[in-house]
Amino acid sequence: MNGAEAMIHEAAIGWVIRTRDPEFTDWEGFTAWLEADPGHAAAYDALMAADADLPSLLPENPVGMPEPANDPGERRSRPWRWVGGGAIAAALVAAISIGSWNRTDIYSVTTRPGETRTIALEDGTRIDLNGGTTLRLDRKNMRFAALDAGEAAFTVRHDAADPFRVTVGEAVFEDAGTVFNIVHASGATRIGVSEGKVIYNPQAEAIALPAGRALTDDASGLHLMAVAPEAVASWRQGSLVYANAAVGDIGQDIARSLGVRLTIAPGAQAMRFTGTIRLDRNPERFFATAAPLMGLSAVRQGDGWVLKEGHGPQS
Amino acid sequence: MATGLVASHWTVLGMATGLSAIFLANRAALLRFVRARGAGDDAEDVIQEMWMKLEAKDLGPVADPLPYLYRMANNLMLDRYRSATRRERREQDWAEGAGGVMADPSEDLAVDERMILAQRLREAEKVLRELGPRVELVFRRFRLEGVGQRQIAEDLGVSLTTVEKDLQKAYRAMLALRLRLDTE
Repeated sequence: MNGAEAMIHEAAIGWVIRTRDPEFTDWEGFTAWLEADPGHAAAYDALMAADADLPSLLPENPVGMPEPANDPGERRSRPWRWVGGGAIAAALVAAISIGSWNRTDIYSVTTRPGETRTIALEDGTRIDLNGGTTLRLDRKNMRFAALDAGEAAFTVRHDAADPFRVTVGEAVFEDAGTVFNIVHASGATRIGVSEGKVIYNPQAEAIALPAGRALTDDASGLHLMAVAPEAVASWRQGSLVYANAAVGDIGQDIARSLGVRLTIAPGAQAMRFTGTIRLDRNPERFFATAAPLMGLSAVRQGDGWVLKEGHGPQS
Repeated sequence: MATGLVASHWTVLGMATGLSAIFLANRAALLRFVRARGAGDDAEDVIQEMWMKLEAKDLGPVADPLPYLYRMANNLMLDRYRSATRRERREQDWAEGAGGVMADPSEDLAVDERMILAQRLREAEKVLRELGPRVELVFRRFRLEGVGQRQIAEDLGVSLTTVEKDLQKAYRAMLALRLRLDTE
């Protein structure tokens, strides 16, 4: 099949489906398509003949909707997918009829500090959860997520007619074709967009955030700024990339990513840092490199760490 | 599309509209459709056939009469296509059967056919399963149970676009399988 034939074939499938729908009414539209090329009617006829045979090819067994495996107690730290082979098989065992689906459709996915997890939604959307994150999802509406706490990177399969929406508190972020990262911690929200576009509160402010744009929403209000697209969700590649970021924010990112208790000394909170910090699972090794990089010193304190000004000796 | 559709459904139900009157009022559009549908020079004949069918049986008031007429015309064209391909196949079988002796459908052949059919069922099941449970569910509801896309979307709590995409995916795979089986 050449390109033109493939296009006709694809369009003809669309018309087979539409004209098969008992509610179909756009016969004028169908006429217009048929008139556009004599090959259209032939393609439609051939596919309708094939369609007529489909019931004889289909076995009778019913299927149910997938029941996402969502038991954090059992599936602690390894990344998981719902719609991988095993999950489908498991889901099919519970064949549930349409009328009796339960309404407990919203469920939470939580990661502990230092733990990451990847969720693959059935529509091709991928959500990477950084540590210390709580995200709510809806079994009934795959184009929705609520970030209650922490950080998540969204790689969204864009659908203009059915945009993906992330709510953070009262705020709504709506994708317009997109890879973006959201942090929600200590009453502040930060979003960075690395690909495509995100609309902040489409019903209210409707601020368009193209790739390379970031927005923060905290006690001081809304702020827009530039962000290097490659810096967005860089934690997934094991590094944190900053341009003139407040050390207070960086401290939260580190704590979430490594799963350590980290306090930033008051004097260091407002300091700014530009650069790349490599994450390291070993806190001693990490702080030995990262603290001097930020012009700070790290001190072990109880079961956590303190970052403070100056190049003091590390203990 | 869906909301406008519901509205017209109810208004039309309230009126006693003769199908024949609607047919006559839309004859030109139907002729144009049948011609585009591939009837060519036979378009007038198809329209005439439709008219005779409408006159022969009193169908009474029909909800959405115009779409009903279009569907009727479309079905007539599908019948024509089916009988034309059947005739073609018969002629081809005849030409290929050396000496013109029709094959005798023996018991062996039936067993063979049953095995092929079972094999095809398994293949179809596999193709559909690989598309994922929701796509499979949507496809079965639509194609086997005859439920409309809007209704399916409502039942599943997903958008109409999602259902449309699922169906396109399922149809693409299932028709590809069907056409492949044809050439085997």
